[in-house]
Amino acid sequence: MNAQTKGFSAWLKITKNRDRLQTFVFGLIAVVVFIAVWALAADFLDIVYLPGPLQVFDAFITSFSQPDPSMGTTMWQNIWASLQRFLYGFLIAFIVAVPLGLVMGFSRKIELLTKPIVEIFRPIPPIAWVSLFLIALGLFWGPIVVIFIGVFFPLLSNIIFGVKSVDRYLIDAAKTLGAKRLQVFIKVIFPATVPYIMTGITIGLGIGWMCIVAAEMVSVFGGGVGYYIYINGQIGRFASMYGGMVVIAILGIITVGLSRFAENRLSKQMGMK
Amino acid sequence: MTLVIKGLNKTFPKERDKLTAIQDFNLEVKDEEFVCVLGPSGCGKTTLLRIIAGLETKTDGSIQLDGKEIIGPGSDRGMVFQEFALFPWRSTRKNIEFGLEIRKISAKEREKIAQKYIDLVGLRGFENSHPYELSGGMKQRVGIARALANEPKVLLMDEPFGALDAQTRNLMQKELLRIWKETKKTVIFITHSVDEACYLADRIVVMTSRPGTIKEIFDIEWERPRDRASVEFATLRKKILAELEREVDRFSTEIASSSSGD
Repeated sequence: MNAQTKGFSAWLKITKNRDRLQTFVFGLIAVVVFIAVWALAADFLDIVYLPGPLQVFDAFITSFSQPDPSMGTTMWQNIWASLQRFLYGFLIAFIVAVPLGLVMGFSRKIELLTKPIVEIFRPIPPIAWVSLFLIALGLFWGPIVVIFIGVFFPLLSNIIFGVKSVDRYLIDAAKTLGAKRLQVFIKVIFPATVPYIMTGITIGLGIGWMCIVAAEMVSVFGGGVGYYIYINGQIGRFASMYGGMVVIAILGIITVGLSRFAENRLSKQMGMK
Repeated sequence: MTLVIKGLNKTFPKERDKLTAIQDFNLEVKDEEFVCVLGPSGCGKTTLLRIIAGLETKTDGSIQLDGKEIIGPGSDRGMVFQEFALFPWRSTRKNIEFGLEIRKISAKEREKIAQKYIDLVGLRGFENSHPYELSGGMKQRVGIARALANEPKVLLMDEPFGALDAQTRNLMQKELLRIWKETKKTVIFITHSVDEACYLADRIVVMTSRPGTIKEIFDIEWERPRDRASVEFATLRKKILAELEREVDRFSTEIASSSSGD
């Protein structure tokens, strides 16, 4: 590295830090204003299904130390159960979507064959399957497959899009260097698609959490945050219901944040950003 | 090495009609020769090179490399792209080793060969840099080294310096001549710059506008390095420029008359 590039990277670092500070400050302002408006609205309206932030916070904290009266599980147990379900569903979606997406993007014939089926199933909301899956697959696999459906389609679309976005000249270059079709696929298409797979994972994670209540609506196998939200809403314990939502939000932010971090890190390491 | 192109034709389907990109193209390229193919844009010169590379199929005619008909891409023809086409996730060294990996050469041997070409193109110290860390000129050095590392019989260059600024471009032309002398490769170089062709080539093939065919061939026997300010250089440049201009004029009148006839 010469002096010029060193100066440039130092300048970049300062700007980056300034950007980060700004992101943090503005984010903090947004959250504070939101909570304040919520508190005022709860006070002013005084309706049963809108408890104030303090009540929700209280229910949130208690849920971790005391088992829920209608479920008998603490929030830690619920989180553990949901997280397991989530990871299984996500992993299966990943294992199926990555090779399928790569092949669908690469081979026109395979895409033409599989696309109609994918397009038929894609718009069906995961919740539509819940009753069937619980009966057919049981309380353990049923909810997992609901998550799978939620994660699978966005992940698949992203990977297909990634394969199709591979620079045509890279494929030409590989061919002129002697690469055959399979080698082009392994040595060019796959690495070039990795950033898109990572983006697909980030999007899939977000959507996966959206499906957790649907997945756990009936099941109580070892508890679950989704079921916790559903059941507390049903019996009118709204502070607890909102507390469960806060838990999902936090889980979502953590998992999506980790995934985004890994995405950026990997793209950088691969020299693609 | 001899490359013989005979009666080459290329047509592309176009709606109900077809578009003739190359028509009856004949050329024989000698061993260690530096041939520049020059032509107005859209004359099919890049298509010609892509057919030689095997990236595009021909409609008619034959192209033989050492007596063997070309039917697809192969490592006996190296290609350098205007867009560089470097693998962004691979370092300079790994980009250069790509073709060697395909040919299943051992890691130790690969490293030795890669180092040889890294030194040849003057990239020592940048072995582990990724393409995004390199300037345009350096990227194209990687592109040239990557193509040469496969030891192709002929180096195909598609406007390789077209994306570079004027100064880098002149420097890279000098560097290419040095590399060409050291490796004794046959080069087919596509360009639309008359100046570049006059500076580099043993032979300049001037193509006509669509359909592309050979209009004229200029042999240049001057010593290298050539002086761009010399009278003979300027005279040749003027002559070729006039030819090209006539081609562009002819083509635009043709287009004007054919579209008004619709």
